[in-house]
Amino acid sequence: MSEMADEKSTAAGMSGKRIDGSPSPRFAVSMAYFERAAKVIPGGIYGSKSPGFLVPGHFPYYLSRAQGSRIYDADGNEFIDYLCGYGSQIVGYGNPAVDGQALEQARRGDLLNQPHPAMVELAERLVGLVEDMDWAVFVKNGTDATTLATSIARADTGKQVIVAAEGAYHGAANWCSTNVFPVFMQAEQRDVRFFPYNDVQALEALFAANKGHVACVILTPYHHPTYRPQQLPTPEFTAAAERLCRAEGAYLIVDDIRANFRLDMRGSHRFFGIHPDMVTMGKALANGYPISVLLGTDGLRKTASSFFITGTYWMSAVPMIAALATLGEMERLGGTARLAELGRTLKEGLESLGKEAGFRARVSGPLAIPYLTFDEDSDLYLNQRFCAAMADRGVFMHPHHNWFISLAHTEEDIARTLEAAQGAFRELGSSSSLAAERP
Amino acid sequence: MKTNFAHLGPEERSVLARLKASLALRLAEEACAADAELQKRCPPNGIAMKLGIRGSDAPLRLQVPRTSSRRPSLLLFFPNTEAAVRVLSGAKGTAIPLPLGSGAFVALTFFRKALGRAAELLRSPDTSEETRAGLLLAATLYGLEAIAGESYLERRMQIIPDGVVGIRAGGIAYQVTKKGRTIHVQRDAPSAAASGSPHLDALLSFAGYRSAIDVLSGKRQAVVALGSGEVRVEGLLPLVQGLFAVLDRLSWYLGVEV
Repeated sequence: MSEMADEKSTAAGMSGKRIDGSPSPRFAVSMAYFERAAKVIPGGIYGSKSPGFLVPGHFPYYLSRAQGSRIYDADGNEFIDYLCGYGSQIVGYGNPAVDGQALEQARRGDLLNQPHPAMVELAERLVGLVEDMDWAVFVKNGTDATTLATSIARADTGKQVIVAAEGAYHGAANWCSTNVFPVFMQAEQRDVRFFPYNDVQALEALFAANKGHVACVILTPYHHPTYRPQQLPTPEFTAAAERLCRAEGAYLIVDDIRANFRLDMRGSHRFFGIHPDMVTMGKALANGYPISVLLGTDGLRKTASSFFITGTYWMSAVPMIAALATLGEMERLGGTARLAELGRTLKEGLESLGKEAGFRARVSGPLAIPYLTFDEDSDLYLNQRFCAAMADRGVFMHPHHNWFISLAHTEEDIARTLEAAQGAFRELGSSSSLAAERP
Repeated sequence: MKTNFAHLGPEERSVLARLKASLALRLAEEACAADAELQKRCPPNGIAMKLGIRGSDAPLRLQVPRTSSRRPSLLLFFPNTEAAVRVLSGAKGTAIPLPLGSGAFVALTFFRKALGRAAELLRSPDTSEETRAGLLLAATLYGLEAIAGESYLERRMQIIPDGVVGIRAGGIAYQVTKKGRTIHVQRDAPSAAASGSPHLDALLSFAGYRSAIDVLSGKRQAVVALGSGEVRVEGLLPLVQGLFAVLDRLSWYLGVEV
């Protein structure tokens, strides 16, 4: 996007509309780009960044730059950001240590014929850091890592069935995506079975019904479905998943792409006392540089070695340099303890302000990955109005997806966020909302 | 990619026949509600008839006016799904009128006129935006209702949460109830559009008749209209998003060549 897009005076924006149809000069440039995009890109903006996933009229569609905990849209509006590039920003946008080293490597060369030595250093660092893991394979996106993990499990066991929790997100490949077309259901999705998260009996029943056919169970370290409160695992559930896998000769995969390094530097599985055979990590791994990793135990090393694993960009140097720098910065900036501290202040503040305004607002999930819902509104009308009101006040909180705290957030950011929240809750209380009209 | 009727499997033929029948009846009803001339031609005690298709589901019913409780005087019977699809698409085919009571042929004549008038209203540039939006909304929503049970959609319907969606376009208001593998469509009183109905898990509202026409006729992509604020979705998004996925299948059926 050109610098011109930052200029509010760009003539393009006059077609900007608010959700109610009234003009919205605040997002005029975003809207103008969206109109252009619709002509050349299916849906204008696709996937999880689609405007319909937010609250149209209250959120920008295009962002131009970011720094620390702040993002700036194409119209020049500033927001305190709690989406953090869908979790990828853990030490803050434009972190000088990470970007400095990454940009230096970019000048020296990124995508080379052979891997950069940083690949070895990063693999050693991660194997030494992430509990119980003995080897690492680098890919680009979470989908690459989860697909490789389930493929290795299938190849090693000679079994087909993948077991996953209902509503869990493991990527956008056909085997795990919500693109529910019969042609995929008859092929890639045919052997994927689902059970309700934390339901030991349902998981046991699934293993019994598929005895001799289960290759792996893939679980996020805790349940973070879209549109729903987050759910932590019960010890009984994680123990059952491990026990059933061991008895069946299946592998347990922890998909740590989203929570990566926000709960425990040694992996979220350590935080919850889970003992997986493989772990996938991504997002925060390199503070936004494109890289993810599949980590595994010794027992799977031979099978992993027999796989032809490749992608044009999978061994590019810059993200590996950035990942090493990110790990260093996380430790320097206070790591998970600092994230939890900031998250606790935000959680307690939001719940308290919600209560004062007469709402049963609840922040679910780990402290560093919060998500607010209203007990009285499972349909999320209030979420949408609350997050729209927050965006109007310069705070970017997603109404349908969990939020993220980064080490660039400050106490001042949290204080400003809570000040905005006080106004947003008041606005909710005084508006004749749809939810209020509902019986 | 366009598909020809000859390439459809038995279930698809059955679903398409039911869809065509449902759309014919609903568009005829809409035309009656919108067109004063047509209303004058309606007998004082109203019209009631059924369409039946061998190889498809239970008969569908036409009731004019909608509030009438008159018993059907005619069953328009199609001996197979192909005949139903052909005739209801305006091509030649076999349809057998079976009288069930007095006024059977008055009902048949009226149905043909109403169906023809609906097509005229959709084609004519002079049709008011309200009428055109009403016809397109009826076709879309009852189309969803007609195809929802198809096995192709089974998994999609499974992952869509159950609930009620309110649809608003100007003074037009519908409630669409998704439960299990079924979709039930109910037209609300015009007052509901202004006051907001209770029990809605989600609300889909068009900025006006023009927006509804543009989106429902395919002139404007729904996701783009959503982004630009011409369409607004509140509440349980997966419910509405899921119905859009069913809508894709409806578009496919409507593109089948006969």
